[in-house]
Amino acid sequence: MAKADEMMDICLLAGEIMLTYGAETYRVEETLERMAKAANLKNVHSFVTTTGIFISFEENGHGDVMQMIRVDDRYHDLNKVALVNQVSREFVIGEITSEEAHDKLKDIYRTPLNYPIWLIHFASGIAGGGFSYLFGGGIKDTLPAFIAGVTASVFLIEVEKYLKVKFFAEFIAAFVGGTVAIALVFLGIGTNLNQIIIGTLMPLVPGVPLTNAVRDLMSGDLVAGVSRGAEATITSLSIATGIALSITLFL
Amino acid sequence: MILELIFCFLATVSFAIIFSVPRNSLILGGLIGVLSFAIFRILPEYGMTAIFATSVASITAATLSHFFARRFRIPATAFTIPGIIPLVPGSRAYFTMLAFVEGDYLLGLELGIETMLQAGAIAAGIVFALAIFSFGKGIGHRYETNR
Repeated sequence: MAKADEMMDICLLAGEIMLTYGAETYRVEETLERMAKAANLKNVHSFVTTTGIFISFEENGHGDVMQMIRVDDRYHDLNKVALVNQVSREFVIGEITSEEAHDKLKDIYRTPLNYPIWLIHFASGIAGGGFSYLFGGGIKDTLPAFIAGVTASVFLIEVEKYLKVKFFAEFIAAFVGGTVAIALVFLGIGTNLNQIIIGTLMPLVPGVPLTNAVRDLMSGDLVAGVSRGAEATITSLSIATGIALSITLFL
Repeated sequence: MILELIFCFLATVSFAIIFSVPRNSLILGGLIGVLSFAIFRILPEYGMTAIFATSVASITAATLSHFFARRFRIPATAFTIPGIIPLVPGSRAYFTMLAFVEGDYLLGLELGIETMLQAGAIAAGIVFALAIFSFGKGIGHRYETNR
């Protein structure tokens, strides 16, 4: 029974990391099935939705094992998905044993973000400035968009850290970003207000849920696809509400 | 135009950092984004609609992403997201919201439909590329012909 138990732990850990950090549903299902089959387990079935993982398999002569876990958090960290993918590939072709795979997965689970948090704030600013230019602003508009983008990103991460409500953090970030943009234009830094606000909001766009929703729907995971699409829609609506509020109040 | 492409590269790479993609896909993801943005900007000058240009750009970006994902053994999402981000109709979505805030519902609906169409074109591109790379493996069937 020991082997089945160990494989169950490995599979659930791998699946939890992948699902939490933004992998598509079909990728999680495929990875779990491949790893379990590589460990000579029979009758492997996995069912993954956006918020939970079910997996069952049979060890020869010991009967079936079945477990599920609930996944509450959904972060954006595609690097961890790539790392888990690598571990599962090495395990399937037999380069590492199950103990080594388990240790590596635990390491991945503990590693911090791939990029320091200040770099993410900075990148939000650069993305804000760049997109304000691409959407028709002038060179002078990139600076206020940069400042507003950094502010929105800082508020997004800090508010989320203290309040732990994602949708409210997005709402606040959009509101503060819009307010900063309006204030900067009012002070005479930058001229095209609309383009600055668009640039500020672009880093808040829910890119990972949106692409994953399309992928999941296409590959037949209808439940996961629809629920991810709903999540992305709620995020977009909270951003739109935040910016609408700041425009209504201050313009 | 050159300046736009440089800004596009910077913005795309920043987006890749925001979604924390693996380091070795940063630059490549940025280049895919620049390419899709260039297609998206150049095609309308030859008389094509913005929606069509978006879908062509999105197909290109998604196909390249899948190709590089195979090559470097990284999940395709890490390339797809930077690749399609310059196509996202952020500007139209914003003006839709603005029209609704100002009570101009007709304009809002018009812009909203354009936003939806452009988002749909991006999705169609991703689906198309996924379909190309799933030939033979199969995803979804209508008739059970091999029985």
